[in-house]
Amino acid sequence: MGDGHHLPSPLWALQWAAALAMVGVVVAYLAAASRLRHRGDAWPWPRDLSFAVGGAAVATVSVAPLPGGEFTAHMLQHLVIGMAGPLLLILARPVTLLLRMLPPGRTRRTLLAVVQSRVAAVLVFPPVAALIDVGGLWVMYRTPLLAAVHDQPWAHALLHLRVFAAGMLFTTALCRLDPMRHRYSLTLRAGTLVVASAAHAVLAKSLWAAPPPGLAFAADDLHAGARLMYYGGDLVEVGLALVIVLGWYADTGRALQRRRRRLGAVPSGV
Amino acid sequence: MSSATHTKGAGTRETTSRRSLWAGVLFGVGVAAFVDEAVFHQLLHWHHFYDRSTSSIGLVSDGLFHAFSWFATVLGLVMAADAVRRGELDKRVMGGGVLLGAGAFQLYDGIVNHKLLQLHQIRYNVDIAPYDWAWNIVAVLLLAAGCWLLLAAPRRRGGAD
Repeated sequence: MGDGHHLPSPLWALQWAAALAMVGVVVAYLAAASRLRHRGDAWPWPRDLSFAVGGAAVATVSVAPLPGGEFTAHMLQHLVIGMAGPLLLILARPVTLLLRMLPPGRTRRTLLAVVQSRVAAVLVFPPVAALIDVGGLWVMYRTPLLAAVHDQPWAHALLHLRVFAAGMLFTTALCRLDPMRHRYSLTLRAGTLVVASAAHAVLAKSLWAAPPPGLAFAADDLHAGARLMYYGGDLVEVGLALVIVLGWYADTGRALQRRRRRLGAVPSGV
Repeated sequence: MSSATHTKGAGTRETTSRRSLWAGVLFGVGVAAFVDEAVFHQLLHWHHFYDRSTSSIGLVSDGLFHAFSWFATVLGLVMAADAVRRGELDKRVMGGGVLLGAGAFQLYDGIVNHKLLQLHQIRYNVDIAPYDWAWNIVAVLLLAAGCWLLLAAPRRRGGAD
């Protein structure tokens, strides 16, 4: 998969195309952020860093040879393109940047209409996004699907793309950083995160015990891959929890300050 | 302490302690889960990552609890930061909450996970009974210490006024 010794060349070309596209997106982001600053807008630099690191990580695992056995390498690749990468990319608020950069006109109106459409609202409804993301993982690993695409470069590339897209959707739904039609509540997003993480952890343990149907891996490789999925998933879950909870902290802080201003008290210690 | 509550805090003393208590309980659950993971899974290698006798319901329960404990750690810490920001953090109440949360996790892990669901045992290839007793007695002690701190808290504060 990630670092097979006899990669079919079409998959190799597709992986390079994906990596170069990702690098292109990062360059475009950095250029846009820099233009924004030049015209006097505030755009915190940690966002540039987050986007660049996320994009570089996704591009790297798409093409670089990865350590470990075949299954472990595959898992590392999926962890980055489906979880860690999307978190870093979404933290940089790419849609907000795009909306600020685009001049008023048809393109901007269309983008805004798409972002605030009913379909988008349904897709970023946290349980729906979680079902698409983690449900998709269950289908991939617990049905013969992975074995079926193993020697089909286009289908295989499509599967990787699906992992990335679903990860982006899930992260967008939980973090609620870019403008959306609905602002789903903290409780709903937190509950979804816990249930989705649990489904992810259970899947990881089930992979420890049995490989995806139709595929065989060395026991050490399978166990290392399953552990990587379990603990790597934890790490990203903590990151997502931090984004959600710190969002609540900021919201509460604003409400607190409003109330203090109304009461005419001096805002102390904030 | 009570004068600080009156001038800075927005809530009554009851909501004040509730905030500190919940911050403590959530953080306590997280700390206990972290210690369990770090010490018994990673350092000692006593617990097994996956025990082949685990039932599906056991795996699901474990997954939910595992995910919840991470979220609880983060939420507990940020709730404590919120209480500090309001000038309302009651350290004694929060400490009691941490002990309660950690004790509750330990007891749940010892009774439900290890015994009822048979997720994994504390240790393998040994007589498990002493380990189980020690595990659950520690849990009860943590709970008792938490209760003691919480019950002692208002009295102490009353004495200081």
